[in-house]
Amino acid sequence: MERLPRGRHGLSPEFVARNQRERLISGLIEVLYEVGYQKTTVSLIGQRASVSKSDFYKHFASKDDCFFAAYETAIERIRKQILDACTAHEEDEWSPRVRDGIAALLSSFASDPALASISLVEGLRAGPGVYDRYQAAVESFIPYLRNGAPQAPGGGEVPLATGEAVVGGIASLLGRRVLAGDVEKLEELLPDVLEFALTPYLGATEARRIISAG
Amino acid sequence: MDAMAELSAEQGYEATKIGDLVRRAGVARKTLYDNFDGKEAVFLAAVDGAVEDVSGRVEEACAAADGEWSQRVEGGLRAFLGYVAENPAAARMCMIEAISATPTASARYDEALRRFVELWRRSAPVEADLPETIGETLIGGVAWIVYQQIRRGGAGQALDLLPGLSEFVLSPYHGVSKLSPEPGGESNSTVADSNS
Repeated sequence: MERLPRGRHGLSPEFVARNQRERLISGLIEVLYEVGYQKTTVSLIGQRASVSKSDFYKHFASKDDCFFAAYETAIERIRKQILDACTAHEEDEWSPRVRDGIAALLSSFASDPALASISLVEGLRAGPGVYDRYQAAVESFIPYLRNGAPQAPGGGEVPLATGEAVVGGIASLLGRRVLAGDVEKLEELLPDVLEFALTPYLGATEARRIISAG
Repeated sequence: MDAMAELSAEQGYEATKIGDLVRRAGVARKTLYDNFDGKEAVFLAAVDGAVEDVSGRVEEACAAADGEWSQRVEGGLRAFLGYVAENPAAARMCMIEAISATPTASARYDEALRRFVELWRRSAPVEADLPETIGETLIGGVAWIVYQQIRRGGAGQALDLLPGLSEFVLSPYHGVSKLSPEPGGESNSTVADSNS
């Protein structure tokens, strides 16, 4: 994010403050990706954002406070990409919608490794209080899978816990790949992840048919 | 190490102090330091012990269940959930506290997850059609559900999860042997019906 000009620039104080806050959040996401949670300090975030330490504390009470804000920002960025991809479909086009949602999820991570890192890895291990947010984030994606989903192949509604397990399982797989340094290759996982997500709702045979149909 | 499991489950790893540990375990501070470098070492030893314990039980249960693969899976799952139900403190320590306690501890968590994925790969039927990542997503999904159950304070009732989780982990394999292939048209109508 560009720094603002120094000195007299005619920008409103609110604008400057919002810009500083956004820069700090982006700064934290970058620094976190490079050095991990433990080594991320307020000074490093400030340096990266070109914001003084005293200005940092005007926006955030602590490193964790900034982390929480950055985490929310990261999750909302991903959510927006998924929702944009899903809105191309009618309500009744469940499996194409799930497919495009998952594709958007994978591409938003693959194109932004720092975003993937805070969302999938650091969000889980940055300490108590942070993983509450990871959990809330994972849960918040479950409705995108369940909305408009078909009944179980054997009849009856697919249990909520199955949707939770699918979303949690995807998050776990992606987190493992990000940790292993394979973030750029996440998009290759689309067929696997899609088949895994569709199977409990459509049955293995139908899920496979959809995947092989492309 | 039992004291560590109890305390980290009750109050979290961070808040657990060496003083609390020696009091709970009823040992002298010196004894603790004779055996461990410090708090993290006690924690890691406790996590390692619990992971050994639970993976041993799961492997045994899988091996003991003869017959169909689905029975082995159910046996392994039952052993895992049974361990969680009987050892709620150790389960919380391994599946919640370890993730964020220290970087080494989170690496141990990843390692434990990897171990279960390996076990899955070794014992699942070789099915060329299934995604290569199926073990990772299934184990990750099971871990997530159990994690939620523990966080809700329901570790003691972990075995209630058995039917749902069995169905979940076996569903990708159903199409292979059990279900006859459904014609595409029929499945599509299922999709449409459920939206009404």
